[in-house]
Amino acid sequence: MNRGHASRANLMPGTLGIAAATAFLILFLSVESQAGTAVLLLGGAVFVLGAARFGGIARMRQSFTGNEGAMNLVVVAAALLLTGFFYDDHFTLLLVATVMIYMVAALGLTVQFGYAGVLNFAGAAFFGIGCYTAAVLTRNTALPHVLVLLAGGVMAALIGALLLLPVLRTRGHYSAVVTIAFTLLFKTFLEVNDTLGGPQGLRVDGMNLFGWRFNDNIEIGETLELSFFANYVVGSLILLALAFAFVRRLERSWTGLNMDAVRLDETAAACFGYNISRWKITAFTVGNFLAGLAGAIYAMMLGFIAPTNFTFGDSLILVSIVLLGGIGNPWGIAVATTIVIVLPEKLQIIQEYRFLLYASMVILILLFRPLGLLPRPLRSYVPGWQPK
Amino acid sequence: MDVGLFSQYVMNGLMLGMMYALVAVGFTLFFGVLDVINFSHGDVLMVGSFTGLATYLGLDALGVVWPVFQLTAVLAAATLAMALLGAAIARYLVLPLKSAPALNTLLITLMLGTVLREGIRLFYPEGANPKPFPALLPTDATALGNFNLRTDNLIMLLAGLVVIVGVHLLINRTKLGLAIRAVAQDEETAKTMGINFNLVVLVTFAIGSALAAFAGIMNGLYYNETNFGIGLLLGVIGFSSAIIGGLGNIYGAIIGGFLFAALQTVGAVALPFASAYKDVFAFGVVILIMAWRPTGLISEKVSERV
Amino acid sequence: MNGTAETLLAARGLTKRFGGVVALEDLELEVRRNQVLGLIGPNGSGKTTFFNVVTGIYAADGGEVTFGRDTITNLSAQAVYRAGIARTFQRSRLMLELSIFDNIMVGNHRRLNQGLWFNLARRRAFRREFQDGFEQARELVRVFDPPLADRMFEAVGGFPMIDRRRIEICRALISHPQLLLLDEPSAGMTHEETTQLMDDILEVRSTFEGLTIIIIEHEMGVIERITNRCVVLNFGRKICEGTYQEVAADRLVQEAYLGIE
Repeated sequence: MNRGHASRANLMPGTLGIAAATAFLILFLSVESQAGTAVLLLGGAVFVLGAARFGGIARMRQSFTGNEGAMNLVVVAAALLLTGFFYDDHFTLLLVATVMIYMVAALGLTVQFGYAGVLNFAGAAFFGIGCYTAAVLTRNTALPHVLVLLAGGVMAALIGALLLLPVLRTRGHYSAVVTIAFTLLFKTFLEVNDTLGGPQGLRVDGMNLFGWRFNDNIEIGETLELSFFANYVVGSLILLALAFAFVRRLERSWTGLNMDAVRLDETAAACFGYNISRWKITAFTVGNFLAGLAGAIYAMMLGFIAPTNFTFGDSLILVSIVLLGGIGNPWGIAVATTIVIVLPEKLQIIQEYRFLLYASMVILILLFRPLGLLPRPLRSYVPGWQPK
Repeated sequence: MDVGLFSQYVMNGLMLGMMYALVAVGFTLFFGVLDVINFSHGDVLMVGSFTGLATYLGLDALGVVWPVFQLTAVLAAATLAMALLGAAIARYLVLPLKSAPALNTLLITLMLGTVLREGIRLFYPEGANPKPFPALLPTDATALGNFNLRTDNLIMLLAGLVVIVGVHLLINRTKLGLAIRAVAQDEETAKTMGINFNLVVLVTFAIGSALAAFAGIMNGLYYNETNFGIGLLLGVIGFSSAIIGGLGNIYGAIIGGFLFAALQTVGAVALPFASAYKDVFAFGVVILIMAWRPTGLISEKVSERV
Repeated sequence: MNGTAETLLAARGLTKRFGGVVALEDLELEVRRNQVLGLIGPNGSGKTTFFNVVTGIYAADGGEVTFGRDTITNLSAQAVYRAGIARTFQRSRLMLELSIFDNIMVGNHRRLNQGLWFNLARRRAFRREFQDGFEQARELVRVFDPPLADRMFEAVGGFPMIDRRRIEICRALISHPQLLLLDEPSAGMTHEETTQLMDDILEVRSTFEGLTIIIIEHEMGVIERITNRCVVLNFGRKICEGTYQEVAADRLVQEAYLGIE
């Protein structure tokens, strides 16, 4: 009786926080004028800083760690609520789905350098491999689209294997330089390759999952018509939930511990029997798979892809997301992706300056708050478990 | 292939190799003193080239048209400004992160590169477009068979050689060079011997960045053009060259630079159908060399103690 | 002689050079099961290098190392650990961002199920293994310091040096190695702390039957108290061997330490 009461009270700060965040997002996404957007942004920042100051963020955090399952459901409900609010707004729903898809890719990057310390500056390239795989497969084969999604991930992981040799080297700068070179060459390759559409790019078919056609608007009764992007929001949300659960489990297992150990001290890890390469390969492959998977659904949603989406700058944006959010913390990714993707879409002035802005931001973070907005908590292997 | 065309390729390769070597020496110097990779190095080169360009335009507007003076001023402005920028990078970004994981230094310099690149693109007048770079050297050519030996190319090669010999003398024959080598060998011992560690690091970054500026001017003169994006690829190539040579070793870096240019040239000759793949070829070979000699042709400096 | 059956680790003619510097020269060394062997000598005499060669961090340039009946010369660090040798490091190499429990589990690597499927999909089985690992780690930490055992899920970075040394030794012991290599466990600690830690080590030894230890140490008090036998190195060579009293009385040793001619 008492315990039930205590845990319900504990659920409150988290639920309130999510409710506030959802309300804010709805407001923010609805506002049209640039001035209104700026004012909201300022207000939001002040509110969050205030909440942090008076322990609100810490209490939210307790809610999340104490009632994980329930809080996850609250977040999913909030996402659906948001989608419902903008049910016929193509632009906003596209934005919401894009944010979720980028979260999946950023989760992949988190496994790579948040956990195993493997640098990857080719995130956008692996995302792009997923996109192009989807384009080629949907246009030229009758492969079921569920398999197309998987193929996008598998392709990214396979092509990533070409870079394994340098990535396995102890010092990070080898994987840095090779992945940068890979990103630069990948774009050039796409531009000169006529089979893949050259600079003009390729068209991609919309998703069709077992007869659920994502590119049709949803009609409910006579009067209500939902934007077809609602399909993609739901699809991305499912994918995101799966990716999130997967990354969480990975972190809360010996595998996650192994990756951390490899990142923090290879020599010590080797002295305790670690096969360093095995964990780096696992992390690199898993990360690229997630990026490719995200790319595949993204391509099907946009219906059209071109090499300009996969530049080095885009890779750096993915890296910025991971660093801003708090390296290794999946919830940090959620917050950071929302900020990084939504901000330039709503504040047009930022759009042109976004690479400059995010690069400067990362410099400041590295100098003054290297753990990011939401620092990663210590590992808890079994949620809610207490030593007896 | 006839001799003329062959010579043309060789000349091309030498010019590229000289630029790469100059960039690679910078990487290797930074790594030597501080065990860090400065990923903004390529973009420092680009900013150097734009500084030179702006200096030229400024002089032009003032009515100064004497080419020798123009060239001297352009070089002086670019190398000095980049030396300062390099020292500032060391002072404000690299040294503060000295005790943080190596990953952070790598990220912060990479992001600084983006800031420089985007800064030029957005704030230099029409910085997003390629800019014509003035021909400050005599452009006449001597015909040797069907190979045209251009005077400006020859001068640049010689100048590059002089700079490299200069760096060699600086490192091996001066007190400053001795201090740099001491710090590269063993920071702790160097400190106890009374060497001002931070100062040596700043000076080393200044020297390396000045070399990059020189390469940036060379790049502009060679292609008669410069743009905000050149630094990224040049940086990656310069760093790869330093790796093949063996990080921390100046001669390795120079060899690596010319080797990379040779690979690109061979790639361009062997794959005439798609010259865009010449870089793929060159990087492919670099990866293979790394697999074969993990610490470069001349062994990389390792400083971890267990 | 009691015969070779009792010898656990032996180095024969072990040599290691770094460029022109000879770090170990023709080293002959033996430790028997159940013994505590002290390894002493001035700085740079090759003690840590010996550990690094045995544990596969450096490759030997000559000679061989046997462990039990197997030759382990130049095996990888991983293989040496699997054979049953665990170590601590002179500059404590704990993973400071991770919890005490995480760090100790790093040492338990060979006994944990590392399959991906097990870790990701079989959560019930994983939970059991986690629970077992936790009980074992907590028991071990309790031997050293009971209050520490209640703080298993706090980051190691927040603990003082003596606790870090304890955790590092637990990390080495959790997998029940046959041989424990301790590289200057007293470094960076006060005299009292060192005494405390040595009490702990002696106590652990009584709970781990058949544990053999080689310890590198500068504090002669420590050596006197816990070792059965000592080997003294200087310039990579063994200059003396025997009980602490014998070694301390040796003229060569006094020269090496005090520079007496």
